Amino acid sequence: MGKVRFFLRESWLLIVASGAFGLLLAVTNAAWQDRIEANRRHKFESRAAALVPQAETFVEMDPIRVELGGGKTDTVQVRKAVREPDQTCVGWAFAAKGSGFADKIELVLAVDAAFETLRGFAVLSSNETPGFGDKIKNAYFQDQFKGAPAAVLTLVKTGEPTQIDDQIVAITGATVSSEAVVHIINAYVGAVRDAMQDKGWINDGR
Amino acid sequence: MAAEGMTTRTSRTFVAGLWHENPVLRLLLGMCPTLAVTAAVKPALTMGLSVIFVLVCSNVAVSLMRHLLKPHLRILMFTLTIATFVTIADLYLKAFLPEMSERLGPYIPLIIVNCVIICRAETCASKNGLWISLVDAVGMGLGFTLTLCVLAAIRELLGTGMIFEKPILPVAGPQGGWFVPWTAMILPVGAFITLGLLLGGVNLITRRTKG
Repeated sequence: MGKVRFFLRESWLLIVASGAFGLLLAVTNAAWQDRIEANRRHKFESRAAALVPQAETFVEMDPIRVELGGGKTDTVQVRKAVREPDQTCVGWAFAAKGSGFADKIELVLAVDAAFETLRGFAVLSSNETPGFGDKIKNAYFQDQFKGAPAAVLTLVKTGEPTQIDDQIVAITGATVSSEAVVHIINAYVGAVRDAMQDKGWINDGR
Repeated sequence: MAAEGMTTRTSRTFVAGLWHENPVLRLLLGMCPTLAVTAAVKPALTMGLSVIFVLVCSNVAVSLMRHLLKPHLRILMFTLTIATFVTIADLYLKAFLPEMSERLGPYIPLIIVNCVIICRAETCASKNGLWISLVDAVGMGLGFTLTLCVLAAIRELLGTGMIFEKPILPVAGPQGGWFVPWTAMILPVGAFITLGLLLGGVNLITRRTKG
C-alpha cells in the first residue's frame, strides 16, 4: 500500500498530463484527419492524372499484398484509371517506395490498361540531394519511362535517352538515385501485375 | 517602482532572445534545423513559426505546472509537453500546408529534440511566472526565426538568384542574364559556410560594440 501511495505521489502529474495531452491530440487528430487524408489522396491523384491524362476518375481497388523479393512485402492500393461515361479502364496507378541515396523515395507508377506498357512515374516524396539526385523529378529522366515495357528495366550509364525501350540512361552525377528509381519500378511492377492477375483485374476492359 | 522593474525585466527578456542570447548566433542551439531547412526562405519561415508556436505553448504549460514538477521527472514532463505541441504543429501543416509539410519532411517532428525549446523550459519557464515565460518564448522564437530567415535569404539568393521564390538576380540563360547560381549554397556545404560567416560577423560586431 505504501509503495502504491509513493508511486502515485511521485507520478500523479505525469499520469494526469499524459491523459490531458493525449486527449488534446485525439481531438486535434479527429478534427484534421479527414483533411489530411483528402490532401494525401489529392496529391496521389494529381500526379497519377498527369501520367494518365485520359482518366477522369480513379477508382480505389481492394488493397493487395505483394512480394517484392528478398523477403520484403508491401500492401499496395491500386487505383483504376477510368474514363467516363462508359467507365472504360484506361490504366492503373499505384504508389511504390524504396531506398534512395538520402532517404526513402516514394513514387506513383502508372501503367496501361493491359499492364503491358508503363505510362511513367512521378515522385510523391523524396529527399534526394538538391541539384543532383532530385533530378529524378526532371522531365528528361522521367520521359524515358513513358511507353517503356512494363517488364524488368536496365539502367545504363550511356545511351540515347530519347529512345524508349527497357534501357534507362542514368542521370549524370546521380547514379544512385537513378538506380533507386529503376529498382523500385522493377520490384513493384512485376509483383503488382502478378497479384492483379491473380485477382483477375487485368484485361477486364471495364 | 515595482511596475517599472517588471517592464525593464520584460523588455530585457524579450531583447535577449533577439540578440545577446540569440539561440542560434550566441547559444548555438537548434543547429539541426538551422542547417537543414535554410536552403530557401519559405521552409525556414515555416520552421521558425512552428518553433514559436511550440515554444510559446510549452513555456506557458511548463510555467503553469512549475510548482508541481518533481526534479527527477522534470525532463520527462518537458519532453511530454513539447512532443504534444510539436505533434499539433505537424498535424496542422499536414492539413493546411501539405506541400510545406512534405518539404520540411522529418524536421518538424524533430522539433521535439530541439535544444532551444527544452533549454527555455529548463532555464526559464520552470523558474519563472507565466508572463516572463511567455515573453521569453516570443523573444527566443523570434530570434530563432529571424536568424533562420537571414541565413535562408543569403543561401537562396546566391544558390538560385531568388528570394521567396521570386527572381531577384538575372540568372544567365538563353534570354540573357549574368548571374550563375552557386549550387553549393543550397547544399549542406552552403549552410555551414553561411552560418560560419554569420557567426563571425556577429562576433565582430559584438567585439566592436564592446570596444
